[in-house]
Amino acid sequence: MSAAALLDRLGRPGDLRLGNARPAGVPRLSTGLPRLDVALGGGLPRGRLTELAGARSTGRTGLACVIAAAATRAGETIAWIDPENGLEPEAVANAGVLLTHTLWVRPRGERDALRAAELLIGAGGFGLVVLDLGSLQTAERGAPWPRLVQAAERTHSALLVVAAQRLAGACAALGLELHARHVHWSVGPGRLSLLAGIDAHLTIARSRIGPVGPALVVTQVCA
Amino acid sequence: MPRIACLLVPDFAIAAACRADPELAGRPLVLAETSAPHARVVAVARTARAAGVHTGHTIAQARAVVAGLTVRRRDPAAEGSASRALGDVAASMSDRLEVTADGAVFLDAGGVRHLATSERALATALVARAAKVGLEARAGLGGSMIVARLAALHAADGVEVVPAGTERGFLAPLPLGCLAPEAAIVATLERWGVRRLGDLARLPLAEVATRLGPSGAALVRTACGEDARPLAPQARADRVEETIGLEYTLDALEPLLFVLRGLLERIIARVGLEGVGCARLGLVLHLDDRSRDAREIALAAPTRDVRTLLGCLRVELEARPPRAAIARVQVSAVAETVRALQLGLFTPPGPSPERLATTLARLAVLCGTDRVGTPTVVDTHRPGAAATTPFVCASTDGLPGPSGAPGSPRDMVARDAPGRLVVRALRPPRPIEVFSDRGRPDFVRGTGLGGRVVGAAGPWRLAGEWWRANAYTRDYYDLELSDGGVYRCYRDGASERWFVDGIYD
Repeated sequence: MSAAALLDRLGRPGDLRLGNARPAGVPRLSTGLPRLDVALGGGLPRGRLTELAGARSTGRTGLACVIAAAATRAGETIAWIDPENGLEPEAVANAGVLLTHTLWVRPRGERDALRAAELLIGAGGFGLVVLDLGSLQTAERGAPWPRLVQAAERTHSALLVVAAQRLAGACAALGLELHARHVHWSVGPGRLSLLAGIDAHLTIARSRIGPVGPALVVTQVCA
Repeated sequence: MPRIACLLVPDFAIAAACRADPELAGRPLVLAETSAPHARVVAVARTARAAGVHTGHTIAQARAVVAGLTVRRRDPAAEGSASRALGDVAASMSDRLEVTADGAVFLDAGGVRHLATSERALATALVARAAKVGLEARAGLGGSMIVARLAALHAADGVEVVPAGTERGFLAPLPLGCLAPEAAIVATLERWGVRRLGDLARLPLAEVATRLGPSGAALVRTACGEDARPLAPQARADRVEETIGLEYTLDALEPLLFVLRGLLERIIARVGLEGVGCARLGLVLHLDDRSRDAREIALAAPTRDVRTLLGCLRVELEARPPRAAIARVQVSAVAETVRALQLGLFTPPGPSPERLATTLARLAVLCGTDRVGTPTVVDTHRPGAAATTPFVCASTDGLPGPSGAPGSPRDMVARDAPGRLVVRALRPPRPIEVFSDRGRPDFVRGTGLGGRVVGAAGPWRLAGEWWRANAYTRDYYDLELSDGGVYRCYRDGASERWFVDGIYD
């Protein structure tokens, strides 16, 4: 990288203007989807809790994989907490996630999953921690979330909670919801049909750092 | 002419006891085989000796001589650890070393001249390194093992170097007793008026051999600075080990952790001599019921952080407490080079190796060792196969560049293109009931799912691993049900039963 490119990236001494000080914004982690990044104001907030809620087969795991892929390819080390033991390494790798940058933790049950999340966020250095509760209905609503948020603020890890519904309430800085799913089937010659993909509407249902409202249609296709 | 260095700890048993329990240092201390009043004292600290206590006294006699005398049982385990620690000090300088039973260590100083500016500097460095592992040692350097040992024993300021060719002059003023000859020979030599090694060296060898036999001849040769016994290098143990026998059995975690901290600090001091870290910890607890509790803890990254290691041991002991009180503790470590972390200018830093090691150890206890790691694609066509490998922080060198190949996942992500549909596996596959209409699945019922089939694709047959006992033949379907889910279902060819093994999510 040339000296000029380095200066462009780091900023030149002359770029500093006195009297224009603004409060620093929340650092962001790109989602890997430019339109979603624009809607969120730059990506997922680091050091905050983001919820991704959606019913079964709305593409929530696929969307989490897209975010994880963008994070790992930016050099981040990520952790994926998977109490349902549902991750398929091959599918995740095909979605673009670098497995070498991924720590996969499979706790036995929701209580251990929350404890594992606390440990991982507290350790620091993980750019993204995905707490994939899947269809688990957490009974510990409210109690663990403030601790998780405090730990995330301290270590600047982005915490993404994937679940059937939003669980963290006021502790979440951002709440994304997937709904209005549509399944596409490709129709070939004869009676041959194949699963082509799933469309779902993504809505920013809650945000303490930006506007709320419908964001985009997330399309996921079969390989 | 060989050059041999000797590292020696005076009052070795006392030094080993003080190393195991630093609070004993400076106290009037004696060691005995048992704590009974009639037990004989086997080792005496300098302060107690100055007050008049000698080996061979009973404990009751020693207590009568010195008020406030501290009596401890001799701990061979602590002495063994101290001896090995001294060996590690020597090994940090030379690979050719020999550890003797009395705790002295000899090393070949001929091949390590490049490590120090002079022989005295080498001996001084050995003494300084011994101090790091908690031993107040003396160092001597000479042309033979016996000269090096006597130089260490009679060093004025802890370090003595006998230049080559001056061995006879160095030995001449030393008393005859420092060679520990047989009592009969000592009596004869005293009758002859021989009291110093210089006197002995002046005697004609053949005449002495005629009158005193081979032992006498060997004494004369030694007094002349000759030592027929060469250095016999020993192989080093692959583990650094520290052991302590406890005065009283421990049945609570906190006191045990206090003991473990001391052991770990000493282990880290030893492995730190060579600039390496601890990659694997072994803990052996000898229990009060005469059983043995052994554990092995693999660390995510080699570390020299005692807090991290202690944290790993705490987690392990909290998860699986020993079943009886603890009488003796042994901690061992496998040393490995500490990996330096190269941070990129524009890449985010990963977890610090020490914190990561503790976190992974805690996660392993929480979830199980096989449930924490890097996801790995298994070399099989069986759907849902998954495995983990131990997690290590990956470097950022192999990251894909800014532009991926067309159609690659990188390219897909960059262009905001549709993502890949991901399957969540159900492990193990759940049995379901499928009702068919004219050969096509029409209605599905199972645990946690069920409904009318809204969309379907399939079947396609998957058969594999026919060369193994668990061969499979499955007819797969993708089924969209009225409950909102899209499922990956199959009919098992052997049992004709239906299962769901994945959800498109």
